[in-house]
Amino acid sequence: MRRRRPILASLCLLLALALVRPGPAAAAKDELVIGITQFPSTLHPNIDSMMAKSYVLGMTRRPFTAYDRKWQLVCMLCVTLPTIENGLARPVDLPDGRRGVEVTYTIQPGARWGDGVPVTTKDVVFTWEIGRHPMSGVTSAEGYRRITRIDVKDERTFTVHVDRLTYEFAASGSFQLVPEHLEREAFADPAQYRFRTKFDTDPTNPGLHFGPYRIVEVASGSHIVLERNSTWYGPPPAFRRIVVRAIENTAALEANLLSGAIDYIAGELGLSLEQAMAFETRHRDRFAVAYKPGLVYEHIDLNLDNPILKDRRVREALLLAIDREKLTQSLFGGRQPVARGAIHPLDWIHADDLPAYAYDARRAAALLDEAGWTRQGGGTRLNAAGEKLTFELMTTAGNRTRELVQQVLQSQWRQVGIEVRLRNEPPRVFFGETVTKRRFPAMAMFAWLSAPESVPRTTLHSQSIPRADNNFSGQNSTGYANPEMDRLIEAIEVELDRDRRRALWHALQHLYAQDLPVLPLFFRSDSFILPRWLSGIEPTGHQYPTTLWVENWRDARP
Amino acid sequence: MSAPGIRRRDFAARLWRRPGARAAVLVLALLAGGALAAPVLAGLMGRDAETVDLLARLAPPSLAHPLGTDELGRDTLLRLLYGGRVSLLVGLVGAVAAATLGTLIGLVAGYFGGRVDALLMRLCDGFLALPLLPLLIVLAAIDPAKLGVPQSLAGGDDASIYRIVALVALVGWTGVSRLVRATVLSLRERDFVTAAVSIGAGPWRIMLRHLLPNALSPILVATTLAVGSVILVESVLSFLGLGIQPPMASWGSMLTNAQELITTAPELAVYPGLLIFATVVACNVLGDALQEAIDPQQQARESGA
Amino acid sequence: MSRFLVHRFLQAAALVAIMSFACYALIGLMPGDPIDLLLSSDPRLTPEDVARLKALHGLDRPLVERYLAWLEKAVHGEFGYSRLYAQPAAGVLWPRLVNTAALMGTTLVLAAGLALPIGVAAAARAGTRFDRIVNALCFAGISVPTFWLALILILVFAVSLGWLPAAGIPMARDPGVVDRLRHLVLPVATLALATLGGHVRYVRAAMVEALHQDFIRTAHAKGLAPRRVLWRHALRNALLPYVTVLALDCGTLVSGALVTETMFGYPGMGKLIFDAVMGNDYNLALLALLLVTALTVACNLAADLVYAALDPRIRQR
Repeated sequence: MRRRRPILASLCLLLALALVRPGPAAAAKDELVIGITQFPSTLHPNIDSMMAKSYVLGMTRRPFTAYDRKWQLVCMLCVTLPTIENGLARPVDLPDGRRGVEVTYTIQPGARWGDGVPVTTKDVVFTWEIGRHPMSGVTSAEGYRRITRIDVKDERTFTVHVDRLTYEFAASGSFQLVPEHLEREAFADPAQYRFRTKFDTDPTNPGLHFGPYRIVEVASGSHIVLERNSTWYGPPPAFRRIVVRAIENTAALEANLLSGAIDYIAGELGLSLEQAMAFETRHRDRFAVAYKPGLVYEHIDLNLDNPILKDRRVREALLLAIDREKLTQSLFGGRQPVARGAIHPLDWIHADDLPAYAYDARRAAALLDEAGWTRQGGGTRLNAAGEKLTFELMTTAGNRTRELVQQVLQSQWRQVGIEVRLRNEPPRVFFGETVTKRRFPAMAMFAWLSAPESVPRTTLHSQSIPRADNNFSGQNSTGYANPEMDRLIEAIEVELDRDRRRALWHALQHLYAQDLPVLPLFFRSDSFILPRWLSGIEPTGHQYPTTLWVENWRDARP
Repeated sequence: MSAPGIRRRDFAARLWRRPGARAAVLVLALLAGGALAAPVLAGLMGRDAETVDLLARLAPPSLAHPLGTDELGRDTLLRLLYGGRVSLLVGLVGAVAAATLGTLIGLVAGYFGGRVDALLMRLCDGFLALPLLPLLIVLAAIDPAKLGVPQSLAGGDDASIYRIVALVALVGWTGVSRLVRATVLSLRERDFVTAAVSIGAGPWRIMLRHLLPNALSPILVATTLAVGSVILVESVLSFLGLGIQPPMASWGSMLTNAQELITTAPELAVYPGLLIFATVVACNVLGDALQEAIDPQQQARESGA
Repeated sequence: MSRFLVHRFLQAAALVAIMSFACYALIGLMPGDPIDLLLSSDPRLTPEDVARLKALHGLDRPLVERYLAWLEKAVHGEFGYSRLYAQPAAGVLWPRLVNTAALMGTTLVLAAGLALPIGVAAAARAGTRFDRIVNALCFAGISVPTFWLALILILVFAVSLGWLPAAGIPMARDPGVVDRLRHLVLPVATLALATLGGHVRYVRAAMVEALHQDFIRTAHAKGLAPRRVLWRHALRNALLPYVTVLALDCGTLVSGALVTETMFGYPGMGKLIFDAVMGNDYNLALLALLLVTALTVACNLAADLVYAALDPRIRQR
């Protein structure tokens, strides 16, 4: 029997490990553990654009301006929001005949980096230097390149000269400050900057951030630990410590929440709506679920080069034949509003009088008959040449919600005699090749993420159609080209008067609903799974994360 | 041409005497029968496995839906049966394809020997050294168009099945090729082979008519065992989003989909999980029983121990 | 013997070299690239941004050219920077490697430690009900989809019973050994349950084989205690083939377990390789894949050498 002991011993050890548990959790929590589904690869604010990174950095730094939860542009790092009325923004005529703008910002007086060094205009100029350098590896450089000059007034005040006047002049969300006193050395060789930046080589350096929290530990692929930053100029946050934990599998994420290993699942990168609704019905005693329909526009791009889809009647019939209202009611509990176009109903420019294209199978059938696609009995419609009315609907493989919607749509189209075949690809293939190179033969279902009042130049302007001769740049993957749409886009961009701009926006939305280059589906909702004791989290519904207001979060228990 | 091999009747009797084998065959026959009968049953029930009914989502079992419905109101029983068609087909075809490739390579290596053998066996070592899962991922994500596969094949409804079968064959041939090579090496110098050579039989004739029949039993065992593991591999690929694509379903993809609803509708995960489990266990037990029925010596030893 | 050694060593080196190109080419065959993927998450990116980033990451050059450039540096020990993590590839790899070695090493020790006594006991009672039950349990273990097993374990032990943490790695800044081990229990249990069956079957088969050799009969005839014969004489003979199997398995020490790592949010090599391959992070993916290949080849070589040293028939060749 001597040989049995190792087994016995290891079983005892296992049991002991199972029963030794850390002391009971404190009543009033000063630590918050947040679960998200993605781990940020780099922590440099201007390299790569990943939601997980924006989420974490929302706690450690602030952009100059951001949209708040009422979708109004507000100042974060600046003192006063520049407008033309208050004189801080001034349109100017440029030598080449175009119109530019000069915008003046003042940095918050108390702003200091975590190592005590004040945030100054030196950092602003340095960030601009990095941003416009072609070798620095900054992802979105457009905003930096548009800046022709920065005039420094003093330590905290500066004026930016932009070579193009648009109504979005103050939306500087992508201008994220980099500390000059720490990063200058790494930028000595710009081509090596992205490898040498302290954001990745020394991510816990307190001097890299100036927000309410600073990063104290990065466990790659697992979690990031943040603690209060003593140099923060705003109201002190309630939680002493915040841990952001990445668990990719949502079933495992949910299990971690239930077992108490994490406190809260962020809506920005959390459970699918369906999962959240199922969760809510079972655990509403302990958790509250907040749903926020956001600026994620789920839609189906139609390839307008497809001979069948060229016919507008067919496109309208496709839209009329699907019951989007019933779909969102039954799959999403009505929490994802049906979209009438690309503009979100909460956006102030939204036109409320757009045609609804509500479910009407009879009208759809009539339109198809009219377009020459007739049906004998219950099969697929044929045209005069005996060809079948058939399309291929593609989307990202592995996205369960999309796959469900896809199968519902397929089933509904079959009712009116439209045969739809499904073909899905992994996201990297789907976005990397199929959509960007317009390789989908008929329909591609995916989502656009946008900001409030964002101009659809890259998605609807005829110059943005990806072609071999422009190296497949642009995101107008339907191939939509309408001179009137081009005119409206160009006019909106430079119209500073809100009322006139709204009128232009309404015209654009009506034209979109008339031409139907895209079948609008719905706006996706984020679901935030909050423990009952956690208060202060206010979902925004756009790409600015809730963490930008992390200092308002608190444990509501006495 | 009567090569020393399996005496069939003895073999079958020996196999049948093993209780595990009987149960395994029964389970596999039931599952395969259900999968084959799926269209018939669908006809009898007057519904198909793909029609969505949003008003009957996650319905409990009833007369109309013996196992209830899934999250889109489709009949769970029918989906399971159709899923079984895909899973069993992928398992069987994948295992057979891998065995065929392995047998060919093993025969060639063992028969010709020398340089050819060395080259093929180093290739085999190379494949064994490859990390299997990352390789599967890379292969699953490769664009078939870049390899010159015609669009009609790459874009069809069954493309994901072909892809998985090809993947499994590509990475799974090594075991069988070693087995076959070893058998061929041991037989090459035997009288009946040298006799065949002396009457002028060509190498392919010798390989296929004389050597292959003698290697069949280990191949059979290995293939039976492989069916189970291919079904498991398919479920892992589904878990990673690289498996069977909707609206087609396999047990693996159904299991993966059910994960998110595990607390609301656990039965949706239990059924496919159980079916995968039962199939794989049955394949393993059957393979094991075959092995022992083929090699009665070992059985004799065991009962004597 | 030394000629045999040199020969095998050269073969192994050539294999690793060929593998490096195969991996590179395979990643190159994957469609799309990550810069295009960025577009879908950030519509503000302009065409100029895309072109600039592609040039910066060298994605606009032909595959062979990129491979040769990589090879030249790799020969000098420079494996370049990870594109995803913006750090030296080796630096990204190291902590993951440690994590994976901890996870897989514990699993391997546990599985082998349990498999030896169970397998020996089953072999000693071959054909009995005990043997059949062990066999059935082994098959059951082998036949469960891993992610399913992991989910069940999490639901039972972390959610329902609340005995163990559901995550594979503690979040405290300086976790104690106990805390680390507690977090390891469920992932290790998942992996051990999934692999134990295979190990037990190997041990059992090797023991059955050993028990039928002449010297065992002689030992019994000499009147040695049955237990002594079993554990001393037979086991010693059965260990050699089993250790060889273990050696062949040691590649998994670094390749990790993708599914288990994903389910438990465990930052190991499996997940890293998956992310690197999916994110077109050539430098990182290559270094990781090469490391895994090299180690597997080295283990195979070691197993061969051990065999050669112990088995006179091979030595004479």
